[in-house]
Amino acid sequence: MATATLPPRSAVPAAASTRRGGAAQHLMAAGRPLGRLLLTTATVLFLASVITFGLGALSKSNPAATVLGETATDKDIATMNHQFGLDEPLVPRYFHWLTGALHGDLGTSWFTTVPVSDSIKQALPVDLSIALLALVLAILLGTGAGVAAALRAGGFVDRAVTVVCSLVATLPPFVIGIGLIVILAVKARLLPAGGYVALDVDPVQWLRFSILPALALSIEVAANIARQLRTSLVASLRENYAIGAEMRGFSRRRVLFGHVLRNAVSPTLAVIGMALPLIIGGAVMTEKLFNLPGIAQLALQSATRGDVPVVLGTLLVTAVIVLIGSLVVNALQVLLNPAARRAGTLGGAR
Amino acid sequence: MNTLRNLLRIPVARVALAILFVVALVAVLGGQLAPFDPLKQYPQTLSAPSGDHWLGTDYVGRDVLSRLMAGTRLSVIGALEAVAVGLVLGVPTGLASVWMGRLGEWVSLRVTDTLMMLPFTVFAIAVAGTLGNGLHQAMIAVGVLTSPGFFRITRAVALGLRTTHYVEAAELMGASRWWTLRHHIWSKVLPNVAVAAAHAMGSALLVVASLAFLGLGIIPPTPTWGGMLSADLGFLEQQPWAPLFPGVLLVLTVGSLNILADCIREAASGEARRRRGGVLRRAAGRRDLSPIGVPLVPVDPEAAVPTDEEEPRRVVAA
Repeated sequence: MATATLPPRSAVPAAASTRRGGAAQHLMAAGRPLGRLLLTTATVLFLASVITFGLGALSKSNPAATVLGETATDKDIATMNHQFGLDEPLVPRYFHWLTGALHGDLGTSWFTTVPVSDSIKQALPVDLSIALLALVLAILLGTGAGVAAALRAGGFVDRAVTVVCSLVATLPPFVIGIGLIVILAVKARLLPAGGYVALDVDPVQWLRFSILPALALSIEVAANIARQLRTSLVASLRENYAIGAEMRGFSRRRVLFGHVLRNAVSPTLAVIGMALPLIIGGAVMTEKLFNLPGIAQLALQSATRGDVPVVLGTLLVTAVIVLIGSLVVNALQVLLNPAARRAGTLGGAR
Repeated sequence: MNTLRNLLRIPVARVALAILFVVALVAVLGGQLAPFDPLKQYPQTLSAPSGDHWLGTDYVGRDVLSRLMAGTRLSVIGALEAVAVGLVLGVPTGLASVWMGRLGEWVSLRVTDTLMMLPFTVFAIAVAGTLGNGLHQAMIAVGVLTSPGFFRITRAVALGLRTTHYVEAAELMGASRWWTLRHHIWSKVLPNVAVAAAHAMGSALLVVASLAFLGLGIIPPTPTWGGMLSADLGFLEQQPWAPLFPGVLLVLTVGSLNILADCIREAASGEARRRRGGVLRRAAGRRDLSPIGVPLVPVDPEAAVPTDEEEPRRVVAA
C-alpha cells in the first residue's frame, strides 16, 4: 500500500521496507532475542531444579529416622522409604520428582503427609501480595524521588535524596524494618506491629497489616531505583536531543517527561530485575519480623524438623517466582529497547 | 604495593581501615576484652545504660556490651568463611572460563545465572533443612551464592586483557598460558578481586546477621549480632533503643567495608575523583562493577553487568 501511494519511494526498496514496518515488524525483530531469553530461562530453571534435588539427595535425614524414631524395625524403615519413593535410584527419582513438580505435585510432607503444594498454596499469597505491594511502593517512591532530584540537579531536593538513598543503602533491610516498627507501631501507634489478614477476607485490614512489611521491603529497592533514575536523567538532560528540544521552546517538564524519561526506563528496569531476588529474599526477613504466615515461616519450620520435601518445594517455588519475574523484566527490556530490536534485524539480515 | 600506598593516602580509607582493625581485634580477643561474662545473668533485667553496664542489660540480665564483643567473633568468622568459599569457587573458574571454548562458557554462564537467581536466605534455610543446621553449612551455602560475583569480575578482566596487544604478542612469542596468566593477567585481576571481596564481606556480614536473626546456624545462648537484634525485637515496648547497639555496629562495619572497596577501586585506577556525597556515597557501596585497568571490549554482552552509575546507552542514529 505504501508503495502504491508513494511511487518514487519504490525506487529505494530497502528504505521503504524499513519505513513500512510498524509494530508487527518490531515484534518479529524482537523474536530472536526473546527466543534466546526463553532458552536461557529454561536452562536456568533446569539447573535450579538439579541444585534443589541435589540438596535433597545429599541430605542425610530420611523419613524413617526422623519420624519413626529409635524403635523402628528394618522392615518399617523399608516400607516407609518405599512409600516416599526413596528406594529408587537417583536419576529416575529426579525425573519422577521433576515431572511431578511440573504437574504441581511436590510430594508430601514426611511428618503431616499433607501435600507440599497445598501448604505452599496456603502460604504463597501472603508473600506474593506483600511483594507486589512492595514493588509498587518501590517504583512509586523511587521514581518520584529520582525525578524530583533530577528536575533541579544540585538543588536542595537533589542533595536530600542523595543523602537519604546512600544512608538507606548501608542499612540492612531488617534494621530498616525494626526502625519502622519502633517509629510507626510502637511510638506513633499508627499501624499494627505484626499479624495478618488475608486480602480476600478483608482488604482494608489487609492493607493495614501489610503496608508496614511492604514499606520495609521496598525502601532499599526504592533507593536503588531513585539513584539509577537520577543518574540517567541528569546525564540525558545534557544530551543534544534534550538541549535541542529545550531550545525549540519546550518546557523543561515536557522535555523531561516526553523525551528523557523514556530513555531512562530501560536501565531502571534492569535495577528492578536485579531487585527481585532481594524482594523475595527480603520477604523471609519481614515475615519473621512482622510475624506473617508466609512461605518462609513454612520453610523455617520444616527446616528445623528436617522435613526435606517441604523445604525443597519452597526453594523450588521461590526460584521459579524469581525466574518468572526476571523473565518478564528482561522481555520488557528487549521489547522497549530499539537498539536490541535493530541488532536483531541486522543479525538476521547478515 | 603502589595501590596500597595510594590507598593509605586517602583519608577516608584510613578511617575505614582503623574501624575494621578494631572490629578484627574484638573478633580475635572478644571474650578476654569483655568486662563481664556474656552468658552470666545479673539481677537487673532490661536496664538502661549505666556506669556498671555501659550499654545496659538484656531481658535475662546479661551485659549487652560483653555480648556484643563476644558476638563479634562468630559473625566475622562466618562472613570470612563465606567469602573464602566464594573466592575459591569463583576466581579460578572465572579465569578458566576465558579459555574453555564456547560450550564451557555457555554452561558456566548459565550456572552463574542460576546461582545469582537463588535468594540467599531461602537457599540458606533449605541447606539448613537438608544438610543440617550449623554455621558452617549455612556459610558454605552463602559462599556458593557469592561465587558468581567473583566469577563475573574475574572473567570480565581476563576477557578484556586477552585481546590486548601485549598479551597477544606474548602468546605469539610462545608464552604458555600459565606464564601469561601470572605475568600479565593476575596483577590486573587482583585489585578487582579485592574490591569484590570487600563488598562481598560486607554483604556476607549482613547475611550472617540475617540468618542468626532467623535462628539459623547458631544455637541461641551463644551471642551474635543478628541473634541480639532478634532477641531485642520482643522487648521493643520496654527498650525501643536496644536494637540500636548491634544495628549501629553492623552498619559501621559494613559501611567501612564498602568505603574500603570504593577506595581500593580509586587507588588501583590511579585517579582521585571528587564526588558529591563523599563518605556516605562511598559507604552506600556503588554497584559499579566495571573492571579496573582493563580496556573494555564489548565481546561478551552477557558478561556486562548493569551498573548503578552507568551512562544511559546512546542510541546511534541509523
